[in-house]
Amino acid sequence: MVSELTLAPPAPTWKLAGSAASAWRKPWFLAASAVLAVLLYWMLTNSTPAVLVYLWTWSPALLRGLSANIGISILTMALGTAAGLLVGALSFSPLRLLRVATRCYVQVFRNAPVLVLIYFTTYLFPFEVRLLSWTVPFPDWIKVVLGLALPASANVAEIFRGAIQSIPSAQWEAAHSLAFRRSEIFLLIVLPQCVRRMLPPWMNLYAGITMSTALASLVGVHDLVDAAQIASNTVARTDFTILVYFTLLGLFFAYCYPIACATRALERHHDRH
Amino acid sequence: MIESLLTQGVAALKLLGLNYAFVLNLSERTAFVRGLGVTLQLCLLTIPFSLAAGVAIAAALTSGRTWLVPPVRAFVEVTRNTPTLVQLYCAFLVLNMIISQQLQSHGGNPMTPFVWVVIVVSLHKGVFHAEALRAGIEAVPRVTLEAARSLGFSRRQLLWRVELPLALRFALPSLVNNLVDLVKMTAVASAIAVGEVTYESIMIWTQRDNVLELLLLILLYFGLLTWLVSLAGHLLEQRLRMPGYGQ
Repeated sequence: MVSELTLAPPAPTWKLAGSAASAWRKPWFLAASAVLAVLLYWMLTNSTPAVLVYLWTWSPALLRGLSANIGISILTMALGTAAGLLVGALSFSPLRLLRVATRCYVQVFRNAPVLVLIYFTTYLFPFEVRLLSWTVPFPDWIKVVLGLALPASANVAEIFRGAIQSIPSAQWEAAHSLAFRRSEIFLLIVLPQCVRRMLPPWMNLYAGITMSTALASLVGVHDLVDAAQIASNTVARTDFTILVYFTLLGLFFAYCYPIACATRALERHHDRH
Repeated sequence: MIESLLTQGVAALKLLGLNYAFVLNLSERTAFVRGLGVTLQLCLLTIPFSLAAGVAIAAALTSGRTWLVPPVRAFVEVTRNTPTLVQLYCAFLVLNMIISQQLQSHGGNPMTPFVWVVIVVSLHKGVFHAEALRAGIEAVPRVTLEAARSLGFSRRQLLWRVELPLALRFALPSLVNNLVDLVKMTAVASAIAVGEVTYESIMIWTQRDNVLELLLLILLYFGLLTWLVSLAGHLLEQRLRMPGYGQ
């Protein structure tokens, strides 16, 4: 212990000096400068491979597709969280009937394939809604949001229930003995701890929902996967098809991987405290 | 006999407002039953393959070889953070196309969409199995291993007699969870025209307007399959239960 303490101070300075010197040797930095150099060479000599030119011309369509996926995922998560918290709260109701009903809801929608639920909402809801004298169109992407929100809400309800149950009941009893009301205990003591515990699984769920939005292309929503398919069929070149599908994989990875990393960092942070 | 029973059943459900008339049409009925069979085949094939893939990936990740760990780690991260549908397209539309072009002169491509689904879903879930197995191995108490070593177990015996049996028991609940997910995931096969139950249903409901009826049947079928998987997992957990480990 003592030797560790005496040895500790010099370490940071050495590390700082080392990192400053090796900044040029970082793999990311090297890769980025290599890519830049190649791009510059292509631009100067006018010899960019045709595949990349195609990818560049199709990139606005792909990015528009990605923004559709992200929009669907955010709306789904907002809707799913609101409904899930409601269902989760109802699962603690003193009424037995309500508890059984919420249990069934959670079981059914957690065990149903997401694709089947998307077909469910897409084909069963009308394509326009009559409100008094107006007909409001009911576009496919909103139906997909609803289809994804069903499993999302069931999962949020389960996460919420798990978080509430993970708070030791002794805390409820202790707060009762300090003359807190039931609503005060919930709002001031239990809920703040629950939010911390719910965040990592909630973020996991968000990443999962974002990946499920790829299924929207199967019911005709113009999302990233759809854009990639149109691009590949329009250009109709083998090398472009390969490139565009792996770009698709890369774009989803670029969006979901940071979320996964943040979730893991949060979990480690919570484990330590 | 069966025909008359079906007619009665359809008539009874008609009273509830559900139109199951398609089961009276022989070709549509056989198509639907074939779809049920294909989904079952997919599950029965992918479950063992995914478990094998999971063991292989977990072994690669814990092997400590510098040429093996980083590529497998990258594969795990990419698989976990991209949609299954996109992986399926990358395999079926891209790799399959390349294989077809290469094998054109050698009598064509032997890979069918069904095989690709088995490969992609097995590898996808294998990654999740590997994570569960790794967590199980880490959950084995150090003290138990030290105790076994002090009793003169060799390294190999320690692995096969102490570490893996305990790790399997710790990992079993998450493995069963993954397998339930796997059963649900086989519905994605309909995207590349594998004739499983969802695909056959789409074929039927484009002819007749009975989406709700068919979706209820599909949900019931998947509910049955996932229930069977979790039941099997539960029985296995009880069979393998060891006093002193877990509840």
